[in-house]
Formats: sequence, C-alpha cells, structure tokens
Amino acid sequence: MNKPVDVQNRVLKGYSNVQIGEKSKYKDTQTYTDPNFLFNEAEVTPAFMTGSEVIKEAIRRANIDLSVAYPITPQSEAAALIGELYAEGYMGDYFRGENEFGVMSQCAGAAFGGARVFTTTAGPGTLRAFENFPMWAGSRLPIQVCVTMRGVNSPLSIQPDTLEMFFLLETGMLIWHAETAQDLFDFILKGFIVAEMPDVHLPIAVCCDGFFVTHTKDTVALPDEKYVLPPYDPYKSPVVCMDMESAPVRMMRDPFVMKSNYISYMTQASWQLEVRAAIERSRKYTKALIGDLIECENIDREIIMIGSGTAVSQAREAIRLLGLDGIPVGLVKIKTLRPFPHEEIAEALKDAKKIFVPEFNVAGYLAREIKAVLPNNDRVVAGPHVAGGMTMPSEVIADEVKKALGMKTSGMTARG
Amino acid sequence: MSIEKIKISEALHDLMPPEYQDMVEDATYGNQDRGWKDIGESKELIEQHSLCAGCPESIAFRYILASLPAPENTVFVGSTGCTSLVFPMVAVHNIHSLFGNQNAVASGLKRALKIRFPDVEKDVVVLAGDGATVDIGLDYTMQSWFRGEKFTTICFDNELYANTGGQESGLMQKGFVAKMAPVGKLFDKVRLPEIARESGCHYVACLTVSKPNRVEKVLKNAILVAREFGPTYIQLYTPCILEIGKQSMEGLDEMKDSEAIGGRFVFKEYMTDEVKEFLKQKDAEEKDRKKAAKLAAKEAAKA
Amino acid sequence: MSDYKVVPGPEAFLPPAAAMMGIELPDPGEGHIEGRIVPEDEAIEHAARKFLGAKVPTIFPGPQILWHWNESAAIKAACVREMAEILPARLIPMADYRPKYPKINPEVEINPNHPNLTIWHNKIDVCLFVGVHCHQANLALKIIRGGTSCYTMAACGMSGHEDACLTIRDVHEDTLRKLTACIKKLKAEGVKSQAEPFEQFRFSREDRKPAYLT
Ligand SMILES: Cc1ncc(C[n+]2csc(CCOP(=O)(O)OP(=O)(O)O)c2C)c(N)n1
Ligand code: SF4
Ligand SMILES: [Mg+2]
Repeated sequence: MNKPVDVQNRVLKGYSNVQIGEKSKYKDTQTYTDPNFLFNEAEVTPAFMTGSEVIKEAIRRANIDLSVAYPITPQSEAAALIGELYAEGYMGDYFRGENEFGVMSQCAGAAFGGARVFTTTAGPGTLRAFENFPMWAGSRLPIQVCVTMRGVNSPLSIQPDTLEMFFLLETGMLIWHAETAQDLFDFILKGFIVAEMPDVHLPIAVCCDGFFVTHTKDTVALPDEKYVLPPYDPYKSPVVCMDMESAPVRMMRDPFVMKSNYISYMTQASWQLEVRAAIERSRKYTKALIGDLIECENIDREIIMIGSGTAVSQAREAIRLLGLDGIPVGLVKIKTLRPFPHEEIAEALKDAKKIFVPEFNVAGYLAREIKAVLPNNDRVVAGPHVAGGMTMPSEVIADEVKKALGMKTSGMTARG
Repeated sequence: MSIEKIKISEALHDLMPPEYQDMVEDATYGNQDRGWKDIGESKELIEQHSLCAGCPESIAFRYILASLPAPENTVFVGSTGCTSLVFPMVAVHNIHSLFGNQNAVASGLKRALKIRFPDVEKDVVVLAGDGATVDIGLDYTMQSWFRGEKFTTICFDNELYANTGGQESGLMQKGFVAKMAPVGKLFDKVRLPEIARESGCHYVACLTVSKPNRVEKVLKNAILVAREFGPTYIQLYTPCILEIGKQSMEGLDEMKDSEAIGGRFVFKEYMTDEVKEFLKQKDAEEKDRKKAAKLAAKEAAKA
Repeated sequence: MSDYKVVPGPEAFLPPAAAMMGIELPDPGEGHIEGRIVPEDEAIEHAARKFLGAKVPTIFPGPQILWHWNESAAIKAACVREMAEILPARLIPMADYRPKYPKINPEVEINPNHPNLTIWHNKIDVCLFVGVHCHQANLALKIIRGGTSCYTMAACGMSGHEDACLTIRDVHEDTLRKLTACIKKLKAEGVKSQAEPFEQFRFSREDRKPAYLT
C-alpha cells in the first residue's frame, strides 16, 4: 500500500451527501444521517431478536428504494418482514418476483435506473440467480443481497452450509461474512455505504449462516430508528445512470466488446481488472466502518484457529475447552472474503506452528484460500469440516487439535 | 432526458462529432408530432450499425425510434441477439444485461423510475428477439404481464435465433428445417399474441414492418396504453434474410407475402373495450390538437 | 507499503490494475503523483509542469462536461477550454463510450475501448482526462499504460484514479481554475511550453471533415 489506512480512528473519508440532515423521502420520522455519526456516535439500545428480525431492523434504517422477494428457507421470514416495512411506508416499492433469476434481474433493472436495492436469497436460490451476479459486478450495480446460506447439493437440504459462498467468490462482488446478529446488522447498513462509494460501486453479498444466525435470538445494539442512511446518489456513479437524465444520451449499458481482435480482448480484460480493482478500493472504506478485515485473539500462540461466520463462534468455544486441557490456542476471525485479507492473515499467522480451519462445507475452500496466501502452508489443517446442515460441536474442533497433537480425543467424533 | 439537458456545452461545441451537433439541432426529441415521416427530414436517433445489409430489423428500428412518443423520457431494455448490435448506436438510454431477462430488468427499471420521478412519465420499452422473448425469457415475459407491469414489450420476430447462426426458435414455423431442427420443426409457431392477450396485456398487435404508418400507430398506441393501463405487446415480423436465403432487396417482399390473406402475419390487433374507448378519445384529442395547431399557424401567417 | 509506481508504459501485455498492486486513492485534499500521495496543490503544480514540458499535451474532455446537462458541466467545459488555450494543449473529446474500432478517427476522438489508437496516432506524450465517467476512464488509463508511453493525468470529480500517473480528486470549477492559474504562474516565471505547433481541429455541421483553425 502506498498509504497506510488508519483503523484506530474509524472515520469514513471522502463520503459526502448533500441531503444529510433532511427528512427521509419515505418516512418523515426519519432523518438522513451522516454514516460517521450513525455508526460511531449515535446512542444505541440493546434488543433481543432473531436474525431475520435483525435484517428487518437494518433495512428499516437503510433507506432502500426497492426490494424484490422470493421465498426460500431460511430467508423467507426476513424477506416477508421487509414486505411489512414496505406496507409501513419505509421504501418505494416491494414485490415478489417469479424466481431468483427474475428477482436478481429485477434488482438489476432498478439499480440501472438509479435505485438503492436490497434482496435476500439462499442456497438453490443463489444458484438459480447466478448468471446475474457477475453481470451486476461488470455493470457496477451496487445492489446488496443478503445470503442466508444453506445446502445446495442434491439431495435437497434446507440446513446451513456455506458452499454457496465459495461459488460467489469470483463473481466480482464484495463478499462479507457475518458471524453474529450484530455483525449482520452492522454489515447490512455499512455494506450499502461501502458498496456505493463511487470508486467501489459494486454489488455486495452480506452472507450469514442460515438458521444459526437467522433463526436464533441474539442481542443487538440498535441505533434509534429516527436515523436512516442518506439516499443513494446515482449521479455519483462511475457509470451512466439509465434514466435519460444524464449524459451522454447515446449510451448502452453495456455495449458488447466482442469483435474478434486484440483490441476488444484487451477492453474485456481491462474491464474485468477494473472490477477487481474496485474490490481492492473497498478495503479502506470497509476498515473505516467495520474495523480490520480480520479480528485476532491471542495470535502469539503456536496454535491458531481461523474461520468465518459461525464456525468462529464454535472455534471460540473449542478454544475455551482446549484451554481447560492446558492447550493455548489463538483465534482469527475473517470478516470479508472479498476483498480477501491476505496481508492481514499472513501477518497474523506468521508465527503459528499449526493452523486449523473449521468450516461448514464439504469442500474446505476457506482452508484453500488461506493456504494460498501463507508461506509454509503445510501448517494448515483443512478442518474440521461438516456439511449438509450437520452441527460442528466445539468438541469436534477441539478433537481435531488434539488429534494433530497426538493426544487422546473426547470421542465425540465417533458419536456421529 | 428532460429535453433541456440534450445540449452540448458551448465551450466545447466545436469538438463534438457533427452527428452529435446534428442530433441536438435536428433530432425530434420533444416534438409531439414526431413520426416515421421525419425519416429523411430530421436527424435520426440511430447511427450506422452492423446488421446485415437489407435486414428488416434495421428499418423496424428506424420506424420505432422515429415514432416513440417521448424519446427524451424513454429507456429501452434489450437482450442478446442481432438487436443488441444496434443498441449502442441508439441515442436513447438502453440496457443490455443478459439473454432473456429483459422483461425482468424492465420491471425493476420501470418501478425505480416511477419512484425517482413520480411526476414524469418515463416510458420503458423492451425490444428483443423471438428467442429472448418466447424461449429463454418466456417466464419473465409472461410474469411481467401477469403482474401488470406498465411497459411495452416489442418482439422482433425473425422466426429463428439469428445471432447464433439460425437455430430453431419457438416462433419458427412448423416444418421449417433449421439448425437444431434437422428434420424440420416439429411443433407449431407459438401463439404469443394470443398468449399475451390472455396474460394481461391491454393492447396487442402483430404485424410486419412493411407499412411504416401502421408501425407508428401501433407503437404509439402500445406506449400510451402502457402508461395508463398496464402491459402491452407488439410482435413485428422482421425476417432474417440471411438465414432464409433472401437477397438484401427481398425483405420487403417477404413481409408483404406473409401479411397477405392467409399469411402468418396478417395484421391483428387485440385490445380491451376500455382501451378501445381510450384510444378513440386519444385519436380525437390528437385530431383537435393538430387542427388547433394548423389554425394557429394560419393566424400567425396572417398576422 | 507498496513500492509500485504508476509510471508511463508500455508496462505489460495486460498491465495490472494499480489498485491490485497496493496503490490507494488519495483522500480529500490530496492527490497522487505516480502512486505517491501528496497534497492537492503539489499534484496540481506537478500537473502544470508536466503539461508545459510536453511536446503534445492533450486534454480529453468526456461526456460529463461535453454535454451541458447541468450548469456546472458547462462552466467546467469553459474552464477546460481556457486551460487548453493558455497551455496550449490539444482538445480531443471522448464523446462516445461505445467501441468504434475500426471506424474510429483517432485524430479527432478518443474512445475508452481503444484509447491507445488516439495516443499513438497523435504521438501524445502527456494527457489529462476530465469529465469522463470513472469506469470508462479507468479502462482507458489501463489500456494506455499497457501499450503506450504517454504520461496520464486524471482530474476526477469523484475519488480519483490510481491507474493514472497523476490524479486529483473532487474536481470542480475552482480546481480547474487553480490548475490554469498554476500554468499561468509557471509561464510568468519563465517556464516555457514545449508543445510542438499544432492546429486545433474544429467541427461544424456543414463540413463533415475537421476544419482546421489557421
Ligand atoms: C444464457 C445464454 N444462453 C445462450 C446464449 C446465446 N445466444 C445469444 S443470442 C442468441 C439467440 C438470439 O435469438 P433471438 O432472441 O431470436 O434474436 P435474433 O438474434 O434472432 O435477433 C443465443 C441463443 C446467451 N447469450 N446466453
Ligand atoms: S443475421 Fe438475420 S436478423 Fe441478424 S442482422 Fe443478419 S439478416 Fe438481420
Ligand atoms: Mg430471432
């Protein structure tokens, strides 16, 4: 980096919106609030609610223009609750689409037309919609989709599984992974701001583990609902808004660059690089809003667990159990998979002797991502992982460590 | 675009390519009387494109662009296909995102523009090929009609997948031998106009582009009805001369043959009674307006 | 800290995006010179010197100022014209974002999909992007850095461009006037424009070929 980003003093720089301080266009009880104030200074009160309700509370304060819904467990409840917000007048439009491919295209249409758009999906819905995601990114549409992850393979499963996040990694979207209800609330609101920065301007998937986060109750600190994000300004976009109110008038979003010659190949390649560059640019805004892209505990220890989402919660408990047996273990929580915190991870794990990556998917892809950024990556144990909705008891994670150390295990693994 | 935004910055005016200078001076944005007759008299909203020479899609595009009631407040949604080679050259904002999702994109777009510009009528018009409309995109086409989305869908029906080299499509005639229909197409041409009528379209028309005044009238009807009532559908026969083995001069004959009595494209129009009444009233208003304008011009000439 | 430098190319068959090489954009009040973050004034002065030292200094105004779609756009257009006259520099518009190859006339237009053609054709050694949408500007800047030796500068109304060799951000009328004032000041101090003599083309509707000012 040519300029270190200050994460201590978490101020979002370069954000401006002339409408800050005005009453919301949708709810006159709400005021457009400077994100720096809303996220750092506004008074908060604790509330105890399900993850689905947390999504609703975030959207209540997000000043979205439009949301499109389609039922699939475990996001159906959240999508329906957003419908309630619409009925109460918190957004301009809301409807049920015909299927997820349609939904994501409807979101695209609204975003091309200059709206702030939010939707939710999960598992098979994500895959049904898939062709849209790289299109969103290539078209620089800052749509937010909350992905409440569940199994995607046949046989059908509605249970938590994070494989779909792996499929999303190279779409050109920002991919954040919430561990807790509080993360989910913060990531949704902050995600809009980062995704809409003119130099980023990309779609964002705020992912969470289905059921574990959506259907359990947790305590979240909520700012007063009189505060709402300032509106999206489509004229601060790096591309032309399709509303016939902006120059140039002869404009296709986006023209084909597919003549068979070196020149068009180069344009296509540069376009793809630009999307990747935009992901990189999101780092500084993300750090200003959610802090470092990883969170570390006791990383001076020889054994470290690293993960994202609720695997981190399970790892935390496993570390407590291992502590009781006199085995000190450190912890690294990854908050964003795109951008991937490669430098941060390499630094945090530089002295670790053994690294464990617990994951809720059959592929163990996070372990692969981590191995790719570490020297001596034989230190990485790609596991434990479970799939298809299996729980990952802390004892199983602890046993993985003990096994690697040649110690007696709890036998939990044998229980099935 | 609010018409006053379509002007070139004075300080850089002489750098702008002349076709843009012409567009600002001579195009018919904002002109209530615009129509196909302006072609040749005014600057068209389309630049040179890369369709095959003589392709009827080209003339269809020109009639449509000349006849839009308010191009300064229209946004097109297209789809992958021969039409998408033209759209970059069109001086009306337009979106291409994927193949077949055009009516879904248009649904989101129309709603967003309604939210953002509650007091301006922003027309959204879908223009896509038959493969996009009837095959891969049929779900989104029909669902947008079921939902009553207030925009016009235009299908350029060339009865095959032209852009990928002439494969079978749902709107192809039964028995036609094409790529991927090696023994001839085994099922009937999909009756999309009738499906449209039954699916919630308030105005439906199916025709060729051999008669420009008819294309103009149908397009204006469809857009006005979409503003007031809901979805409208126009199917235009634009034969792919390349794939059916015609010369560049033969497109017009092909269209004329197909619209003659007994042909596949005999002009048909469906509308609800409400719409019939509405269009009658609009026509009357239009007549009155033109009469008044003529009178005023006469008065002005006298004075 | 990245030691990557955003210097003129030709850099690579497919040059990396500077952001992927660790180059951050400046914060408000700052600019960057070849990737080094500097105060805005320093970047402005550097831009003025680069322009004056160039043989074929060229400004590429984009749609956001070519079109009088709001009042500020028209004022910025006038500021850019003044700057070009004072330097002197050529003005070559980026009027279209649609790919125009092979139909492009590189003498009188630049296109984000094949900007190198315009750079090569006119032997442009220093250029300034202004009023181009950020996405298209970045495409063009990358392609120019990939295949030409042109020194690129970007006056951006938003966050700036790390793929340019020099950028200033949040550019409005006054920023452009500041750059022009700096050029005037340097000239008054005796810094001479190295620009080769040229004729600025001019279009009219009557004459479809460029008419050159004499
Ligand atoms: C998902 C997807 N499937 C297939 C294609 C390939 N494809 C591009 S254009 C086209 C045919 C277009 O046919 P039609 O809509 O009739 O338009 P025409 O070219 O005939 O005008 C096909 C199959 C694609 N681009 N995307
Ligand atoms: S392939 Fe057919 S439809 Fe496409 S441009 Fe040529 S003639 Fe027209
Ligand atoms: Mg076709």
